[in-house]
Amino acid sequence: MKSLRSLFTHIRRHPAAMVGVILLALQIVAIVFAPLLSTHSPTEADPISSLQPPSFEHWLGTDVSGMDIYSRIIYATRINLLISISAVALAFVLGVPIGLLIGYYRGFVSSLIMRLFDFIQSFPVFVLGMALVSVMGQEIWNVAIVLAVLFTPMFARLIRAEVLSLRERPFISAARCSGATDASIMFRHILPNALTPAIVQVSISIGMAILLTAGLSFIGAGVRMPTPEWGLMVSSGAQQMILGVWWVSLFPGLAIVISVLCFALLGDAAKELSDPTTRTRR
Amino acid sequence: MNPRDPKALLKVDKLTVSFGDNTVLDDVSFTLRRDEVLGIVGETGAGKSVLARALIDLLPEGGKIVSGDVALDGTSILSMNPKQKRELRGGQIALIGTNAKALLDPVEKVGTQVARVLRAHQGGSRGATWKAAVDLFAKVGIVDPERRAHAYPHELSGGMAQRVVIAMALIAHPQVVLADDATLGLDATIQVQVLDLLVRRCRELGLGAVIITHDLGVVANYCDRIAIMREGRIVELKPAGLFLKQPEEPYSGVLLDAARARPTPRGAADASAAKPKTLLQVDKLEKFFTVGGSNKVVRAVDGVSFSVGSGETLALVGESGSGKTTVGQCLVRLLDPGGGRVLFDGNDITTLPEREFRPIRRRIQMVFQEPYVALNPRWPVESLIGEPLALIPKTSGAARAKRVRELLDMVRLPARIADYYPHQLTAGEQKRVGIARALATSPDFVVFDEPTTALDIRVRAQIIDLVRDLQRDMGLSALFITHDLNSVRSLAHYVAVMRHGKIVEHGETETIFARPAEDYTKALLAAELPIEQSEAQRTRALDRHSVEPSLT
Repeated sequence: MKSLRSLFTHIRRHPAAMVGVILLALQIVAIVFAPLLSTHSPTEADPISSLQPPSFEHWLGTDVSGMDIYSRIIYATRINLLISISAVALAFVLGVPIGLLIGYYRGFVSSLIMRLFDFIQSFPVFVLGMALVSVMGQEIWNVAIVLAVLFTPMFARLIRAEVLSLRERPFISAARCSGATDASIMFRHILPNALTPAIVQVSISIGMAILLTAGLSFIGAGVRMPTPEWGLMVSSGAQQMILGVWWVSLFPGLAIVISVLCFALLGDAAKELSDPTTRTRR
Repeated sequence: MNPRDPKALLKVDKLTVSFGDNTVLDDVSFTLRRDEVLGIVGETGAGKSVLARALIDLLPEGGKIVSGDVALDGTSILSMNPKQKRELRGGQIALIGTNAKALLDPVEKVGTQVARVLRAHQGGSRGATWKAAVDLFAKVGIVDPERRAHAYPHELSGGMAQRVVIAMALIAHPQVVLADDATLGLDATIQVQVLDLLVRRCRELGLGAVIITHDLGVVANYCDRIAIMREGRIVELKPAGLFLKQPEEPYSGVLLDAARARPTPRGAADASAAKPKTLLQVDKLEKFFTVGGSNKVVRAVDGVSFSVGSGETLALVGESGSGKTTVGQCLVRLLDPGGGRVLFDGNDITTLPEREFRPIRRRIQMVFQEPYVALNPRWPVESLIGEPLALIPKTSGAARAKRVRELLDMVRLPARIADYYPHQLTAGEQKRVGIARALATSPDFVVFDEPTTALDIRVRAQIIDLVRDLQRDMGLSALFITHDLNSVRSLAHYVAVMRHGKIVEHGETETIFARPAEDYTKALLAAELPIEQSEAQRTRALDRHSVEPSLT
């Protein structure tokens, strides 16, 4: 309860965090009330009203197959956030224990895993993404898995770095003297202290995941038409851009900007909130 | 005080400083004369450091001088323009801070840094100022000054870096030197050398010096007048001799009392004629470390032997780097000894695997040096104290909670502390929690690693009294690792003096303190700054030659 209250005070005092929370709330509303908010079906093509500029009927215009851009943007929030959040959650669940183990037990296996991470991270993201998706098929879940594979090393490294410094701290020696077992030292002493940067990273990663999902779809390695997805929508409008049809790409692009910004702001707020110097003293 | 005192150099008049609504300095007035050393003593939070910074009008962020004035030679410092203030700082009033290494620029030669201060204040060529810096290095006791001037800060020892900072303070010929806990964290022998030198130079040059510290021994031995600060006020200001004899304020009396050594505890040995049973025996213990990357071997512990009988306390004293903490860590098996044997109650525990050592852990515990970092910041006190109880099989949750209450009571902490987290506690409370943890399993033997270091005068005395009570009530055997000789007097039956990984002298506390045999022990004892005998020794800084321990 107390931490919740301090969270609210913090948000009230920091306008940037406030903006992040408002943007997140908007996205949640879009996800929950998509059927109510949308004016058309997001996937129904209507060739007659192809490439219409924004109007009273189609608030943000229509794309080349005549689908309503506004409705598609609203529905795409579901897809994009579903992919991003599940990818980051999976990466967190995999990366944190791996990082904890390879930080605590340093040996041949640990360095082998680190080299594997180097290998994964040294690949250009999009090349790796294209390769994996083309092998596994262009499904929503496959995109999420690709992103999780990319993000796992990030979380594992972050936790490992924390563990490496924490395991040398005197309170770990003190715990050992008190008879704490390896498991207890790892999970009860080190993990709670190592988790903060990873939790901050979650929010930043979700923003990155949204950007990557859109990027993969843009180059054709993500989800397929007619699934409403922001990157795909930007890509579908790209060809018409030079013809002066700006609305097809612009509005989904703005949606990406807003969503990424939201999670970046929340990440910053989380970082500040977790700073021990802002903790209360008696 | 006569306002027209011809010798008055620095005059502080009703100075009040606040941070927001918080008044940190409250109506502080004093005068510093030429050729005088004034000591300002206070506990953490008394406002000492803020005072030092207010005197050069360089307060930390958020601080504001609300009223009052600081005048140097009759000129108000607060009304100076920024250029005059720059000339003042370092030029006329020099501040020497704590932790010299952090005060020096890590990427520049120390000689250049000192020379630059002189150039900034008095100009001069690079060559001339460099030469002046090197000359001054020699005068502040830096051996081989030319070579040291080319060193970078990380290449110097703490004591050497502190001398460089003193040289930096003196080079522009200031009229006033402010030393703000300038010897904090230095070994006793080094502290005495640094203080001797600082005070001698100030006297030779006829400067006014303000020594700010939390150590009454320092002011008692070096200062002409003593000011006691408490909660932003100067509560008492008197000539040193008079102050030590008859402090006026009750608070001053409490501080003086706290700083005095307690009588040596009655040895278990002389309580009965029979020699007590040997509980811990250490035989030719060795622990070498290899320096990363090279083949250089550091012989941290090099053939150390001693034994501790049940109910006895042995103090292991020595300077930093002497290997005393390494010995302690070998005893509780945080480190594996490289050679020798450790016998605990007849069992060889030197190389027992952790699984077999575990049942013995509840009998041999350790209190860690820095209280805050030795407590998991995310655990409440209740869990911290309860953790070692896992060593006692079949402890129920209720029994555990009850034991935690008992332990809190034993270390004189209120029961409500159980719900607090370490960062919500004061240093003294953290130390007590550390002690309670170590006592949780009712051990027979406890290793205390620097139990009194970095504590305020009164807190330190409380911890000493607490440990004395525990020794008496529980018949505790202990190894006491420390460089605080005053606390050794109060707590230990026997003393072993360590240097470079070896024990150089070993014997009963009273004997060692009264008749040290080894030169090194004599040097250590000479570096002690007790408040008792200070009256006769107060001029020590002028006539005594520095003792010679490890200089580099």
